[in-house]
Amino acid sequence: MKRSARLLALLVPLVLLAAACDGPADNTQLVVNTDDCTGCARCAEVCPYGAVEVVDGDAVIDPALCHFCLRCVEACPEGAIH
Amino acid sequence: MRRMMVIIVLAAAPVCLSATLDGWMDYETGGDSLAPLPGRLVLGGMLEGEGWTLVLEERYSHRDSTGITPRVLGSHAATDVDLALEAGPVTVNPDLCWTLDLGVKPVIILPEAAGEADRRGSIRPGLTLAGTLPGSVEVFARGRWTDRNLETENGDDLEWTETDLEAGATWRTPLGPSLTVGGTGRSIRSDPIGCDESWNRIDLGLEAEKEGLPLDLQVQGRIGCSFYDGTDYTDREIADRLSGRLRIVRMIVPDYFLADATFETLFDIDGDCFRTACSSGEVRMIYRLPARTAVPSTVSLTGKLAVSSIRTSWLGLAASVNVWRGLSVTADAVLRETPTDVQMAGPMRRRLVFGPGLEYRFGEKVRLWGLVEQERTELQEVEVWWRMRAGLELYPGTLGL
Repeated sequence: MKRSARLLALLVPLVLLAAACDGPADNTQLVVNTDDCTGCARCAEVCPYGAVEVVDGDAVIDPALCHFCLRCVEACPEGAIH
Repeated sequence: MRRMMVIIVLAAAPVCLSATLDGWMDYETGGDSLAPLPGRLVLGGMLEGEGWTLVLEERYSHRDSTGITPRVLGSHAATDVDLALEAGPVTVNPDLCWTLDLGVKPVIILPEAAGEADRRGSIRPGLTLAGTLPGSVEVFARGRWTDRNLETENGDDLEWTETDLEAGATWRTPLGPSLTVGGTGRSIRSDPIGCDESWNRIDLGLEAEKEGLPLDLQVQGRIGCSFYDGTDYTDREIADRLSGRLRIVRMIVPDYFLADATFETLFDIDGDCFRTACSSGEVRMIYRLPARTAVPSTVSLTGKLAVSSIRTSWLGLAASVNVWRGLSVTADAVLRETPTDVQMAGPMRRRLVFGPGLEYRFGEKVRLWGLVEQERTELQEVEVWWRMRAGLELYPGTLGL
């Protein structure tokens, strides 16, 4: 019971915060899940803006070069970019 | 000259005598009616001595655009050389990454509305310094300089260079959580097209991990914020980002059944506006069959969902059942949905890839596998094609020199 109350106390502010926020921008920075990324570099190969490179085994997306074309999202074989 | 050679050989001999050599190879090939023999080859070697490590890895790939039609076939080679020298608590790590685009050159759309250029390769030397300070503080500083070989239709070199500087520190507090502070600076220059982009970022993070909780729970949590100074391609300020991540791992049946769930929520501070950026969840369940065989038999089920201004989802099932000695029968199925830029097919694209396969393991040193799979994908209409893939992974083990 005590554990459930603690979890609720953590979740309620988060839900309220999310509800009070505006929705995401149309070109929200993409996220690379480094747990799933295998560093295969397919994202870097298909990016037409040269915005993705693999550094130390993980894909890194340059927020200044990324045009949000989403080709890396589509090409990633592990579904690691979202 | 001869005397010099003798001195070098004599000096190098004790170093080599105490060294070990590891090597590895990973080769994958395949093909279908649309793409002839896309494949990938990784060859690597690591020479390790007392206080130093030298890694050389060569990667070659010949790939299509992963089923997106019309397909683009390209060949790419990359070489990584990485040397790490340890001197007490300090590690000095120079590295070099060299890439080369072979055959058809990928087209890069340039910033500043400067048209297009062919990507021909890049060279990226870097240097990392890392050390441990008293009080469980780890610090690092890294610099990388990238020279990209981009050429216009006329054969003009765009003199494209990128400079990355990073530094950071992690303090493992006596209470358990670790606190990270870091900074990154990046600049991109190409004088012929007047490109001079730069941005900076400061990262703050707090990470904690707890094991041995009731119900065999293991919990990892991380909160962080990244403050940006710079603009994106629309010349808008890059939004600052707050992130929260929680990972819960539970061994439901010890040694046999594991559940692993990760949730992440990101918020953007976009000027005066506070926005939700992305929320994602990933749940993975792995069941190991109780049979005591040389190669374990496993079934895993993975589900992922991420929602921001786009939505991606993934449902995957992978099974590997050992049938005789090192031989296993495998079956994989992945159903995924992503945005697509294939014309007339969007905005979302659903793909189902499934198929059986065989795998043979010779202990830990060799893995040989092959599979046949079918991809059904929604483009302008549902397209179906078959594919065969095979691979060989080789790890001969450590050799003492």
